[in-house]
Amino acid sequence: MRRVLQLFLLLVLAWIVVEPLAIVGVESVRRDGAWTLDAVRAFAVEPNEWRAAWNSTWLAALSVITGTMIGVPLALVTRLAGFPGRRVVSALLALPAVLPPLVGVVAFLFLYGESGVFSRGIMALTGSEVAPWRFEGGGAVLLIHATTMYVYPYLLVRAALATFDTSLIEAATALGAGRVRTMRTIVLPLLRPAIGNGALLIALTSLASFSAPYVFGGGFRVLPTQLITTRLNGDVSVAMVETLVLVALALFCLGAATRLGGPGVRGAGKGLAPAPAASRKGWRRSLTAVGVAAITVWLLLPHLALLGVSFVAPGAWTRTALPTAWTGGNYVALIAEPERWRPFGTSLWMAGLAAAAAAVLALLVAVAARDPRHRLSRGLEVALGLPWAVPGTVYAIALATMFSVTQPAAGRFILIGTLWLLPLAYLVRALPIIGRAVVAAIRALDPAYDEAAAALGAGRWRTFRTITLPLLMPALAGATALGFVTGLGDFMTSVILYTYDTRPVSLEILGAIRQGELGIAAAYGVVITLLSTAAFVLAERSRGAA
Amino acid sequence: MVGERGGVLLTMLVAAAACSGDGREPLTIYSPHDRALLVTMEKAFEAANTDVDVRWLDMGSQEVLDRLRFERPNPVADVWFGGPTTIFDRGVREDVLAPYRPAWAASVDSQGIGAGDMYYPVYRTPAVIAFNTDLVARDSAPRDWDDVLAPAWHDRVLIRDPVASGTMRAIWGFVIMRSMTAPGDTAGGMAWLRRLDGQTRTYALNPAILDQKLARGEGAVTLWDLPDILIAQSKGMPFDYQFPSSGTVVIDDAIALVRGSDHVAAAKRFIDFVGSIEGQGLAAERHWRLPARRDLPLDQVPDWVARVEREMVTAPMNWTMLAAEGAGWMRYWDQRVRGTGRAAP
Repeated sequence: MRRVLQLFLLLVLAWIVVEPLAIVGVESVRRDGAWTLDAVRAFAVEPNEWRAAWNSTWLAALSVITGTMIGVPLALVTRLAGFPGRRVVSALLALPAVLPPLVGVVAFLFLYGESGVFSRGIMALTGSEVAPWRFEGGGAVLLIHATTMYVYPYLLVRAALATFDTSLIEAATALGAGRVRTMRTIVLPLLRPAIGNGALLIALTSLASFSAPYVFGGGFRVLPTQLITTRLNGDVSVAMVETLVLVALALFCLGAATRLGGPGVRGAGKGLAPAPAASRKGWRRSLTAVGVAAITVWLLLPHLALLGVSFVAPGAWTRTALPTAWTGGNYVALIAEPERWRPFGTSLWMAGLAAAAAAVLALLVAVAARDPRHRLSRGLEVALGLPWAVPGTVYAIALATMFSVTQPAAGRFILIGTLWLLPLAYLVRALPIIGRAVVAAIRALDPAYDEAAAALGAGRWRTFRTITLPLLMPALAGATALGFVTGLGDFMTSVILYTYDTRPVSLEILGAIRQGELGIAAAYGVVITLLSTAAFVLAERSRGAA
Repeated sequence: MVGERGGVLLTMLVAAAACSGDGREPLTIYSPHDRALLVTMEKAFEAANTDVDVRWLDMGSQEVLDRLRFERPNPVADVWFGGPTTIFDRGVREDVLAPYRPAWAASVDSQGIGAGDMYYPVYRTPAVIAFNTDLVARDSAPRDWDDVLAPAWHDRVLIRDPVASGTMRAIWGFVIMRSMTAPGDTAGGMAWLRRLDGQTRTYALNPAILDQKLARGEGAVTLWDLPDILIAQSKGMPFDYQFPSSGTVVIDDAIALVRGSDHVAAAKRFIDFVGSIEGQGLAAERHWRLPARRDLPLDQVPDWVARVEREMVTAPMNWTMLAAEGAGWMRYWDQRVRGTGRAAP
């Protein structure tokens, strides 16, 4: 039975995930019906291409290190330490997961750019005429990555802590282990799958990151920007080689993470989620609160900048540290003009449908791939993670190519130009986010539950419905919300696959930026952020209900 | 979980999204032009053609080409409206265009017309030297290309990323071709571009960021196209411009019928309208587009058009050579020139 499910799911994933990429990959080394390696040669002899690949690599590595160092401690503190304002701060810290595309990066320009708030502020204080820094190059991109991508380990570790077995900590404490020792030998090993997945998500997001290096890279080349440059120059096959290098790097990360994450360590599966330990000393509580609040404010500055820009009248924020005039006009424009608010409905239904379908598929895969030692399980896992290893643009091109021909035997139909291609792309993009979280969660479950249920005479379906599913709900709800939000803010796939009827909000943002209407773009960004937050709150509530 | 209510909501949303037609013939237009211009054209055309529903999608001209290529098996668009003729040429090679000779075909310069009537020019886009008027007085602004290399502008020049921009590619091509002493000799042009690189504070990755950086004073001078500068100026940006005295590049901005369109008759009517005296006048009056037609009655064009025609010196351009060599030049510039100007003496 499980075997049949596994094979069926492998077939589905091969169809919507692997086949499109294979079609494009083969086309890249074929020219006029013959095999050719010209493009590979063109790539290999060019030092700039190697530099871009190297930059992408170290940027991903440092993004993982910095992002994890921000995200994991924040997750531990907001889950385990008791301090005033904990709930609000926990929710706010998840916001960068929903920093809207393009305009979110533009917000950094207004903050840290050489004519941004900080730079202009320092110039005003020191009376200097010269900007104190240039916000450009690898360092700038790394700062943006670290302060936005920490949310992946943050959210995953928080989710893992929600099902954490506190009896282990209690036991360790009873046996005389100190805080540090408990953390090192109990908590962190148990969190290893969550931290590993978080690090993987950072690595893959960083490898595919386009907007930040595009806007702030300056002469700093990474593969995704190099790819666009090459494509714009008409060298489609060289661009394909760059893509393959990028995919290879991502697959390497995926492999490393699968190995490092391993089956993980399992808890005994008793006890409840840890209640925050209220520190006995009042000053300690306050200090924690102040410290976490300060970090939260720092991490939320881009959102604040976005909010600020959304209330700025056109041309009123150019030569001064802060805007000279405020207006609500940008929001009025969003409400008053139907063509401006219609994309919200479009984005909502597409992202909602895609996330729901991806959640069902991910749940099935999790059940089928529960045993990590099984070879088919590993195959399912790799197929599930693959979409994340491929930059959105490439995936979009692959789907567009695959679904522009009618070959029912190969599973190819004409979907290009229809309503359905973009939701399908969102589904594929949401799969690794939801899938990996649910797989990690199901593997962290104690098999003793199933055995107990079976011993008590419950059938497979009943065990799944009454035991497994409720236990998976926190991870599933959180990850589905994240998958939904990814679709809601998606830019890289939408820009290639949208049609007149499926024009999403991100394209509206791009349109507004192209028009120089940064205020409108920011207002869109703020509304998207609010909608995404609502999704997370709903997920949190359903988690409570479960 | 999403639950039943969520399911019902989704179904309703899908249904709402699926039935958005109203019985008129839909005409889909892909265009890199600004939305205000597209709205004007849509309204004016629909007023005269009540049976047609104009639907435009605005995107970069490179994206238009990419999309048309993907959609070849199931074409969605009917008209490609806007972009330099060099990229329309690529569209011809990619087989995404269909020939049509518009009603106003005889009123535009023949050099901008695609071979076999594949596309026709509707606007002219001159390159200009633009500057921030808060930082630079009109009298001290650079007057010609070479002035931009003066020490006064060191580290004060902003440049739109040339690889991603048709306008910038044309300027780069112009610079390279004007200093050619023998066929294929790009050394002089590349040396000039290397000096410009040394003057350049930063390359802005899109026009909106270029506008922001120029308005915010991160640089004082840029090379960019006239309509965008005029539009930004009309929105209150502190910009002004100068026509290079030795002559400037003027890019023909074209329109074409998409191959495989299901609405050929309506598409042809739309193309005829964009190039009609009314269409050209609307674009010039409200959206700072320089008409491609040379037979417009003087009382039909706004003052600024007349002024531009008076001040602008058009430099000769070998567009065929640019189309053939441009990609190689840009690759060389991107790999060997960009970022090397500061190190050079």
